[in-house]
Amino acid sequence: MSDQRDRVAVFLLAENRLLREALVRIFNKKNDIEMVGASGFTPLAVEEIAAASPDVLLMDSFTVELSHLEFIREVQRAVPGLKVVMIGMESEEQTFLQAVRAGAVGYVLKDASAQEVVTGVRAAANGEAVCPPQLCLSLLRYVARQWNQVPSFQVKASLGLTNREQQLVLLIGRGLTNKEIAMQLNLSEQTVRNHVHHMLRKVGASDRLQVVELCRIQGLAV
Amino acid sequence: MSKIQVLVANHPRLMRELVLATIFDQPDIEVMGEIKDDSEITRVVAESEPDFLIIALDQAERRPGICDELLVHYPHMKILALAPERNSSVFFWAVVDIRSKHVESSEEGILNALRGREQVVEQ
Repeated sequence: MSDQRDRVAVFLLAENRLLREALVRIFNKKNDIEMVGASGFTPLAVEEIAAASPDVLLMDSFTVELSHLEFIREVQRAVPGLKVVMIGMESEEQTFLQAVRAGAVGYVLKDASAQEVVTGVRAAANGEAVCPPQLCLSLLRYVARQWNQVPSFQVKASLGLTNREQQLVLLIGRGLTNKEIAMQLNLSEQTVRNHVHHMLRKVGASDRLQVVELCRIQGLAV
Repeated sequence: MSKIQVLVANHPRLMRELVLATIFDQPDIEVMGEIKDDSEITRVVAESEPDFLIIALDQAERRPGICDELLVHYPHMKILALAPERNSSVFFWAVVDIRSKHVESSEEGILNALRGREQVVEQ
């Protein structure tokens, strides 16, 4: 909520006129919410939203196609601190994840009640994230996938380990011997030994298990 | 004057609630019920015989199968099919065959349609 206002300023961007009109009427009945604008998507939408300077942008997922989720980033650049809450008209995981990646802090499913939309807007304005329970799992899985991804930029940046060396760390962490690693990666055992030796020197570790531990600390899911 | 009796059965839930919020406090319209499960529509229509049934239009340009089924038995009833992603709704009614026209998906558009003053929109 902005300092100058004691009410949450909301801009509604929705293509469907009925959705827009009825939601505006519902929001207008709430004492703690002020509707500062409502429109369908136009090429001037970013400017219109910036001029209204809302705390929260509530938009439906039909308004901006997936390929145009850049719109969310654009509008957040134009209105610093803006919280975006999306009404997911499709319950697809992909739409939700793309919205989150683009910068939405809230996602309300089309099967939500109008009251849940209002609650979601209030929560976003208070700095909370809004995520339907059925999509929380998707989010957790997505984060885990990212976490497990090799190479890890964090490990590369902080320990200087190459992609290949990070692969080796994962295999060492699983308890594989140099010979087993060599077979798995189609390398000679001597090459693996050389990689391990270089890694130890790079990170200043005394043994291979210490390398694994250091990478784990840096976020590599070993 | 008797009120216009409406049964609201569209989905998703958010759109259904917004439709209800739009028509609920209209003095000349009576909401006979809200149907959350499509499989209940036929039974509730048979029980309540509304003037209007509001349903969801799942596939654009394709008449929902339930229209054919219901309008044969209840030719006095009119059906308004709402598509959440579009700005027009389709209005179905039976004369000899089933006819349809597009009306605006707005509060005014829906209320006008229920009151028999629908304004047709071009597609």
